[in-house]
Amino acid sequence: MSNKPTHKTSSGELAGFVRLNEGIKGVVLIAFQINIMALNAILLAHRAGEVALGFGVISKELRSLSVELTGLMQELSNDAYLAVNLISDLLRQERRYRLLKKATDLVADPSPALRDVMVRREEEFSLITYRVRDVRLRLLDRLEDARKLCQFGTAISRSAKIEAAYGREYGRALAEVSQEFDQKIQNILPSIEALCTGMQRR
Amino acid sequence: MKTAQTIYQEGSHRWVVIARDPSKPNCVIDTNEYLISREGDNLLTDPGGSEIFPAVFAALSTIVDPMAIRYLFASHQDPDIISSLGLWLECNPEIRCYVSRLWSSFIPHFGGDENSLAAIPDEGMSMPLGSGQIEYVPAHFLHSSGNFHLYDPDARILFSGDVGAALMPPEEDELFVRDFDKHIRHAEGFHRRWMGSTEAKLDWCERASRMKIDMLCPQHGSIYQGDDVMRFINWFAELPVGLSTFRHRR
Repeated sequence: MSNKPTHKTSSGELAGFVRLNEGIKGVVLIAFQINIMALNAILLAHRAGEVALGFGVISKELRSLSVELTGLMQELSNDAYLAVNLISDLLRQERRYRLLKKATDLVADPSPALRDVMVRREEEFSLITYRVRDVRLRLLDRLEDARKLCQFGTAISRSAKIEAAYGREYGRALAEVSQEFDQKIQNILPSIEALCTGMQRR
Repeated sequence: MKTAQTIYQEGSHRWVVIARDPSKPNCVIDTNEYLISREGDNLLTDPGGSEIFPAVFAALSTIVDPMAIRYLFASHQDPDIISSLGLWLECNPEIRCYVSRLWSSFIPHFGGDENSLAAIPDEGMSMPLGSGQIEYVPAHFLHSSGNFHLYDPDARILFSGDVGAALMPPEEDELFVRDFDKHIRHAEGFHRRWMGSTEAKLDWCERASRMKIDMLCPQHGSIYQGDDVMRFINWFAELPVGLSTFRHRR
């Protein structure tokens, strides 16, 4: 098991996935705020009428984006939960392996049956290690999707600013909303980047 | 490392004590494990905690193939008694662990399942071991609410779990009690605090005094043999235990 993660690295990995889950909660909260904000923006655009048609379309896009982001975060959270379970199991297996290995080392002439136990342990350990690696890769893919979604969000929140300029008497209110959209999206991006970096580092 | 020492042998029928581990971490209480072998059947009493598993396993291997252990007996549910169960099952998934019915759904937190645990009814039971029989003797509330001792009538040995246990300083850590009066001082505090029921204690003393016991083997400390067995039973019968003594000591 020497070429496999040690107790220390598994503990670090566990802490990484727990942190990921905390980060996800932050993103979900902002996505919820965007959703409410977009709903209000749709109503405002409706009141403004023809001058805010474009703004209304963009607000609907932002609302869809927030729903999609929330769904993506839910999937990420499920994967992080699975990873935490797998790594907890890995830690348990590591402890058992350590104690069995110590016993084998202390026995003068370990029986073939005991050696078989150790081989089985190593195989099971490898299997869980591979499963953790798969979950991590899937998490990275989902985080990449979330990053692209946020980049798209940045682009359309800028379009919202442009559309607000055509809002005549509603221009100021639309400009305020579009500014808030931009700020919220800008808040999410660093969180997603941090989550990506945190996962890639492992 | 722990050492294995035969304390009884009659043909293939033997009792071996696995005891005294000078290399164990100080934070872990020292324990005695007993191997009972008879015509190829092997039973290990209170196999111990996970952290001492390697030492027990290695010491056993000097006597028998540890993979050939067929039965475990857990006097009760404490971690120093049976938290190594998962490791024993790794080595031999066919092992059956006998334990009070009270703990048969608690102990799987250490490992095992309904197939690996055999529940002992409150009134106790006998089971064959080789050509002989061993008896699981009720010792409830001494100290656990579901507690058993193991009696081997042919060897006249009673494995008494925590009853008879002593927490001895390293310089007096003998395998057999040599000087009862000196030894029992190290057992007193333990029994006062851990044995919570006077009624259960007197009931056990009454039953134990009627049994033919040449050796009384506790899970911690030294083994009582010969006259020291009855000395211990009488001493225990007289010892104030339970909450009243605890209140006085506060």
